[in-house]
Amino acid sequence: MSNRRIVVDGQPVAYSDGDSVATAILRGGEHPKFGGTLCLGGDCPNCSAEVDGVPYVRTCQTPATPGLVVRRHPSTGNPAFPNVVQADITKTPLADVVGVTRSEVDVVVIGAGSSGTAAAAEARNDGHNVLVLDARDGNEVVAIYGGPTVIVRQPTGMAHIHAHQVIVATGAAELQPVCPGNNLRGIVTARAAEQLHASGVPLPDAVAVGHLPAGVPCVAVPGRIVRIEGNEHGAVTAVVTADDHGTQTTTACSTLIVGLGFAPRDLLARMSFGLPVTVVGPAAQKFALPPCPTAGTVCPCARVEVEDLEGVWARGFHELELVKRASLCGTGTCQGSVCGPHLQAFVAERSGATPALFTARPASRQITLSEAAADTYTDVFRYSPLHDEHLALGAQMDRFGGWWRPWNYGDHTVEYWAVREAVSLGDVSTLGKLVVTGPDAVEFLERLYPTTVADIKPGRSRYVLLLNERGHLIDDGMICRETETRFVLTFTSGGAANAEMWVRDWAETWALQVNILDRTMSLAAINVTGPLAGELLQRVGLAEPPKFLQHRHTEVAGIPCHVMRLSFTGEASFELHHAVDQSVSLWRALMAAGRDLGIKPHGLQALFGLRLEKGHVIVGMDTELDSTPRRLDMDWAVKMDKPFFLGQSALARTATLPDHRRLFGFTMPGAAPTEGSPIWSEGNVVGHVASSFNSPLMGHAVMLGWLKHTPFPEQVQIDGRTASITDLPFYDSEGRRARA
Amino acid sequence: MLALNTLRGIRVVSAPHILDAATWPAHVTALRIAPDDIFAIAATEADAAEVEAADPHSIVVDETGFVGCWLDQQELEHITRHIEWHAPSHRPALVQGYVAGVPAKMWLTNELSLLLCASPYAAELSERIS
Repeated sequence: MSNRRIVVDGQPVAYSDGDSVATAILRGGEHPKFGGTLCLGGDCPNCSAEVDGVPYVRTCQTPATPGLVVRRHPSTGNPAFPNVVQADITKTPLADVVGVTRSEVDVVVIGAGSSGTAAAAEARNDGHNVLVLDARDGNEVVAIYGGPTVIVRQPTGMAHIHAHQVIVATGAAELQPVCPGNNLRGIVTARAAEQLHASGVPLPDAVAVGHLPAGVPCVAVPGRIVRIEGNEHGAVTAVVTADDHGTQTTTACSTLIVGLGFAPRDLLARMSFGLPVTVVGPAAQKFALPPCPTAGTVCPCARVEVEDLEGVWARGFHELELVKRASLCGTGTCQGSVCGPHLQAFVAERSGATPALFTARPASRQITLSEAAADTYTDVFRYSPLHDEHLALGAQMDRFGGWWRPWNYGDHTVEYWAVREAVSLGDVSTLGKLVVTGPDAVEFLERLYPTTVADIKPGRSRYVLLLNERGHLIDDGMICRETETRFVLTFTSGGAANAEMWVRDWAETWALQVNILDRTMSLAAINVTGPLAGELLQRVGLAEPPKFLQHRHTEVAGIPCHVMRLSFTGEASFELHHAVDQSVSLWRALMAAGRDLGIKPHGLQALFGLRLEKGHVIVGMDTELDSTPRRLDMDWAVKMDKPFFLGQSALARTATLPDHRRLFGFTMPGAAPTEGSPIWSEGNVVGHVASSFNSPLMGHAVMLGWLKHTPFPEQVQIDGRTASITDLPFYDSEGRRARA
Repeated sequence: MLALNTLRGIRVVSAPHILDAATWPAHVTALRIAPDDIFAIAATEADAAEVEAADPHSIVVDETGFVGCWLDQQELEHITRHIEWHAPSHRPALVQGYVAGVPAKMWLTNELSLLLCASPYAAELSERIS
């Protein structure tokens, strides 16, 4: 005995070199789980305990190391959940980072026993690159996925091994007894007895039923086990056996060694159906089933008794899968490794046929969340080059359209008024931006968009819808014509990636001579908006800002910009597109120059309200997957008399059909209802609110909402109040402010 | 933490056969990030004159939208732990895919290798691989 110790339930326990945790606990006279048959082969849950804070660890497979802290699970019930203190739920919880190594081999052999060794030799002789994995060598295979990919837990982390062929050679597991008293302390399988004896762990007053352990001093008891008797401390005191005539014999003992036969250790094989996985050796062998259980615990993981199975059967669940699901037998951590053969025997006796055992699922061993999540990542959200500027200004950032964007800077109403009455900056770096050039550029865009492109003069721009073949709106944006054959297209932030693929796909389909460059992440953009926007731009060197729907390349604050005059807020607006590495300088220059003009940044919360007052839709928020221009009351953006555009024929076909869906503007006194609120008419739900906003200027709620029943009512009820359909836009219907 | 710095150069978009024929000064690292798209690090628009001559509709613009860092062999091995795909063994090679879950590219050479990504991903990539 060494002077090294592990700590079990707060008490130091000495162990010998080579001991597993389970062996060390048994050496100390205790049971790792207070009771139940021990196999010490990693097959059963009866030695599982919390090890260094990780529950359900099979202690027979865990080497004892100095200071290892073991807490045995409660004898009844489940271990308590860890007490996780997470003060800031916006932060990612920190956990141990588990690394992953990846490799590729021709053949993975799982199991280094005789059959595995033979299979590996044969594969090598065939010229294959072979990797043999065995839990005893620190390579614990916990899953086989498609590919196949073998997931291995190693002392240093996880290994993901890609193989062309997997050979499962995991051998056979020993059957455990199912009878009254099988939860007592002092029952071990024959192999476990051999291990313990070899390790010098005493097996007092041992008797053996079934095949005998090699070299272990014990008294052989003939017959089959009827029950196991124990004392008030839960320890075995005797085994009752019966012969072929039913005559019972009671044999006193402190240790019961059971050699009841074997079952294939096929957990990994059972999770590999349909994969190039071969099972060899005892793992593929068909062993005789044990006798049908009549009493006792069948499933030690889920603590299912034979009488539970009988109750399930009596209720009409007569297939193994159904018995499993109804009783939970086999749903525990060993996934049927212990109870499977007994469950098969139970069903076979009643149905007359031996059913196949159920499919196993990864992981075959209990792994931690860190191990399961090793080297996997959450979706990545992009950062605007102005991210730190926003944070410095107190912005609350949130995720929209794949980007971190400012929601507000503390008070969206203040930001709203800055736009309406002064000047404000908005970060629109997230907009999609494509450059399209080529001799066929006009033809290409004419086909792509429902608007006329050829009549857009260089230096001018136009708002455009992007429709699919069915005439449904998939995105919107601007076309800016730079030369006869060069255009800049913009798209929504969230739709940009799909729009780029859409544009490229059609360019290839039509085989037109165009060049396309996506500049979404190369160019930042700042929207300077408000009645004083032009004055601000003059202060930073733009003597003559472009007029409405004009654009040009020029310098602003000494920084090259593509300046586009448009309006989403309803006020005069200038988008300044510029290189991302210049963005902070430009932002700061504008903020400094506009200080006495009342300049403030605005976030999405204010922007959503500002555009709503103008009745501008946000694709994906106000639109649905089958929204046509007619349903959005945007027929004005479609030129049906063009020779061709995507969606044209669908729109022509459906133009004469009745349509019961339409997006309307609504106004209502009081607070804006929650977006998504149902719209009622005469007691029926007739639509829903897509966007809503408390208009500071108008002093009431403004909304966009869908009506989906005709005839469309003029008045509806929303949130228990009467709302009126109102012509769009709600604000500046003649667009004077945007053009000012 | 790995420092990702702006990579200055030009983007050149034209027909693949025109880009195939393009030549670049020795100091330029020309990455063919798509059949019709080259990111030429350390190049100026003048370096793309032959492309513009061959294709008057080519797109040649200054590019500062990528960030990256050059890696020695040890640093490269650290990075490859964060990729699920199989990197080719031949050199030089441009590979594109997720690195630590972030869309990125790697220019692998026998000496130093370049890890780069679009600048909006810089913060995430830097944090995830550090």
